[in-house]
Amino acid sequence: MNKTPTDGTEVQTVPQLLAHALAMETEASERYGELADQMEMHRKTAVATLFRRLEVAEKQHLADLTALCKGVELPHYAPWDFKWRSKECPETIDLGRVHYQLSVRDAVLLALEHERRATQFYTDVANSAHAPEVIALARQFAQEEREHSAWLESCLAECSAADSKASEDPDPPLSQE
Amino acid sequence: MTTHSVSLVIAGSGGAGVVTAGSLLLNAAAKTGWYALMSRSSGPQIRGGEAATMLRFATRPILSQDDSFHLLMAIDWDNIGRFSAEIPFTGNSLIVGDPAHGPCPAALLAAQPRQATLALADIAEKIEGGRPNMVALGAIAAMIGLPPQAMQAVVEQYLQRKGPAAIDASMAAFHAGFAAAADLPAIPKLPAIAAEKEPRWSITGNEATGLGILRGGVRFVAAYPITPATEILEWLAPSLAKVGGVLVQAEDELSSINQIIGASYGGVPAMTATSGPGLSLMVEALGLAVAAEVPIVVVDAMRVGPSTGIATKSEQSDLNIAVYGMHGDAPHIVVAANSVADCLFTSQWAVHLAESMQTPAIVLTDQSMGQSRAILPRPTPFTFSGQRITAPAAGEGERYQRYAVNGSGISPMAIPGTPGLAHTADGLEHNPFGTPSSQASDHQAQLDKRSRKLTQFNYGDHWADIVDTDAGPGDIAIITWGSSTGPALEALQRFSATGGKARLISLRLIAPVQPDRMAAALAGTTRALVIEQSHSGQFYRMLRAFYDLPRETRSLHQAGPLAFGPGRILEQLNSWSV
Amino acid sequence: MQAVVRNYKAKDYKSEVKPIWCPGCGDYTVLNAITRALAELAVPPHEVAIISGIGCSSRIPAYTSVYGFHGVHGRALPVATGLKLARPDLTVLVTGGDGDGFSIGGNHFLHACRRNVDLTYIVMDNQVYGMTKGQASPTTAPDWEGSKLTPEGTGINPFQPLVIGLASGANFIARVSSSDPVNMAQIIVEAVRHPGFSLVQVLSPCVTFRPDQAVWRDFVRTAEVDCTDDAARAARRLMTDDGFNVGKVLFKGSRAPYRPEFEPSSGSIADLESRFML
Repeated sequence: MNKTPTDGTEVQTVPQLLAHALAMETEASERYGELADQMEMHRKTAVATLFRRLEVAEKQHLADLTALCKGVELPHYAPWDFKWRSKECPETIDLGRVHYQLSVRDAVLLALEHERRATQFYTDVANSAHAPEVIALARQFAQEEREHSAWLESCLAECSAADSKASEDPDPPLSQE
Repeated sequence: MTTHSVSLVIAGSGGAGVVTAGSLLLNAAAKTGWYALMSRSSGPQIRGGEAATMLRFATRPILSQDDSFHLLMAIDWDNIGRFSAEIPFTGNSLIVGDPAHGPCPAALLAAQPRQATLALADIAEKIEGGRPNMVALGAIAAMIGLPPQAMQAVVEQYLQRKGPAAIDASMAAFHAGFAAAADLPAIPKLPAIAAEKEPRWSITGNEATGLGILRGGVRFVAAYPITPATEILEWLAPSLAKVGGVLVQAEDELSSINQIIGASYGGVPAMTATSGPGLSLMVEALGLAVAAEVPIVVVDAMRVGPSTGIATKSEQSDLNIAVYGMHGDAPHIVVAANSVADCLFTSQWAVHLAESMQTPAIVLTDQSMGQSRAILPRPTPFTFSGQRITAPAAGEGERYQRYAVNGSGISPMAIPGTPGLAHTADGLEHNPFGTPSSQASDHQAQLDKRSRKLTQFNYGDHWADIVDTDAGPGDIAIITWGSSTGPALEALQRFSATGGKARLISLRLIAPVQPDRMAAALAGTTRALVIEQSHSGQFYRMLRAFYDLPRETRSLHQAGPLAFGPGRILEQLNSWSV
Repeated sequence: MQAVVRNYKAKDYKSEVKPIWCPGCGDYTVLNAITRALAELAVPPHEVAIISGIGCSSRIPAYTSVYGFHGVHGRALPVATGLKLARPDLTVLVTGGDGDGFSIGGNHFLHACRRNVDLTYIVMDNQVYGMTKGQASPTTAPDWEGSKLTPEGTGINPFQPLVIGLASGANFIARVSSSDPVNMAQIIVEAVRHPGFSLVQVLSPCVTFRPDQAVWRDFVRTAEVDCTDDAARAARRLMTDDGFNVGKVLFKGSRAPYRPEFEPSSGSIADLESRFML
């Protein structure tokens, strides 16, 4: 039942790596989409826009990956059988760490943290894999994640003072039922 | 002297076997070809307390208890005074008591009935294994014209397990009483019926309710016991097992009502039965069934209210909660049985209505019908063609609208397990897809839909029983419902026999109201008598609220547990005919 | 072993309706865990029903693409009981919160555990009534002073759902944290697979009315004990645990689930009617 922390050493074949990558991108795109939905629902346009852009980027990434997986028989992993240290996919933002008053800057930081973890995972796989094609593919994926991180770092640099403040809400919470 | 009907009471206490005696007598009367109506009254003890069995026998179908009793056979006098209001006598009535127990209490003598004695205990003692209640039965049989062989057959069946010696002892006591009756004053006798005119049943209102439920198609019942409805559930338990269905005992009424909503949502017609206090607990969930449009049937066997009231007695005072109990505007079906036999029809009809319109149906019966046993003509079987409109498998593209707004207001219901039609049924107000909505337009549309589906439904002729005197309707109407119908019908018959003209309207469909139909039924009437067993006149007030009533309308209402006698109603009719 | 045909992904179990929960609410992860679990179980969405009562967590059915019933406060368990008994072919889950389940729904909770119908009950326990703006719930600590209704705290011992569930006869008991949705999915899969009444308590913080619960993610620890089938041992553990041991099934019983027969035993309505005939 325990999630035994692994360091990617058990990802040794291309199908295994692809399965992990596919799960990673699927979950990341869905999670960014969820967060965008949540922020839109709570009228936090700037943060919603950020997450939506990330969702679009991940979906593109997912489409590319899906094309790459065509014809390859991928092993099935139950969500708890994936070989990463984190509970969910490394790239997936933990839903418990957001708040509707999240500032744009904090959202960027959260996303950046996770993109870096994704990079780390692929790097770990590349370092511990034996088959050259696995190493090459893992390095390619790591590079793609670095590009995401780079984009987020530039967002961070562009954050204005306004983007850095947690949004205020003078209204008290409401009961609905 | 012979007559078409005789009424008698057997009373006693502490193991006198009054209830058994009544059942044996009823069964023997059935074998004789008579019709019968039996009810009981007792003290609060679970065993051994004072009890009285009231019986009416007749050579034609019985509509009601009579205005008074011809005979009281008292095995003893223990606390018999508690029954005095329920067993009215006249100067012609006969009270027979056992001298060993002393004189008849004054409480029973207000009308100055005739009195006689019969040494029941003494006679019984002289017979090995003889019991006073069998002696009493013998005397009664002789007095009312019941052939002894009818009792012989019944006793043989009843004591089969105990063997021939027990049967002989009982019959010996019976015959001793039969012979001893020769010394007693006369009461009306009934002629034996030569040939069976039509098939007859022996059934209680509660059993009839259960049967109607099954005939209607219910196959899931959640049960929580409550007097006087428990027998409905107890009859259903083995019956459902026979025909294929499930009865579950719930932990409380909140559970039973919600369980049947769940089962019905799953596609299985479902019901429960309760009394006033249980219905109070169920009201919130009834509103949920209205809002989520889930068909269910709830039978309320009414007791005397309010609150715990008198569980073992009858009243017609749950009309208000049945019709108005839910918060919000929550139109739903309320139907009322108006006789023991009608418990069958009305329950079956209620299932049909609930399923057809995807809404809760409350069936109002009461303790007096529920716990009375009648020998009556076999009820005509009805089949109803209406049933739940379910959604067929999903078409391409279009998302399923569980609460689609359409002309009839009845939107096809998807049964869980059907691909492509998954939806969430909700007590929250919702849009046609079922998604919660706080929009005024959605609320309006759904309210209109839920109302429209009921008002546009064709209820046919079953909305009321309308009976005219032989000479035609005239200008007097009796408007009543439930168990008050029986005495009103008998009063109408007596009125008809004297040439009087009146129309009886007994409402079966209490909600939704039927103003057009009522107007047609009341056409030409200038006077109406509204009859009900309610202290505040709940039915009268409802009629006033929703219907146009004749210029001169009188309300005849009284609290339970005493029922109206036909004579009292006849008096009212006669006073108008002057 | 036959390969499982996996026609559905987790997102196939979600509807288009966007949840209104506050960002950061534990219920989001529960929704994800449920959908992941259903995908792993490979049960078609139209063969699943989720039943709920009233409260934030009770909104879950509308956010799924399975059949749902959103009933009234505290009454989800009897609705689910009736549904499962009438339709044993369906996979029935019940979702709700600590107020809905253990306050107004308390009696039904006891009897659902006792009756042991094959259901899975997922309780999102945030120790507060969130939907009605933050009152103490039965699982709230006696000294929590954050409610206007009980400004000095309730002063009453909190309800222990797992202990009471065990004592009432629940056949499967687990506690999970919303900070570990993958583990939660795994436990839910096991809960659904285990016959009888399965109780899964989720420590699921309320980000709006109990911001103090943010520390739960640091307090929770993986339970160090293995699952037991010994009720007495489980009782001792549950009575002495601090409520933060998560991530494991704590008890798995072997009671047969309650499942009455629906098939006719003999006879028809005509047979029943013949008993009334003279």
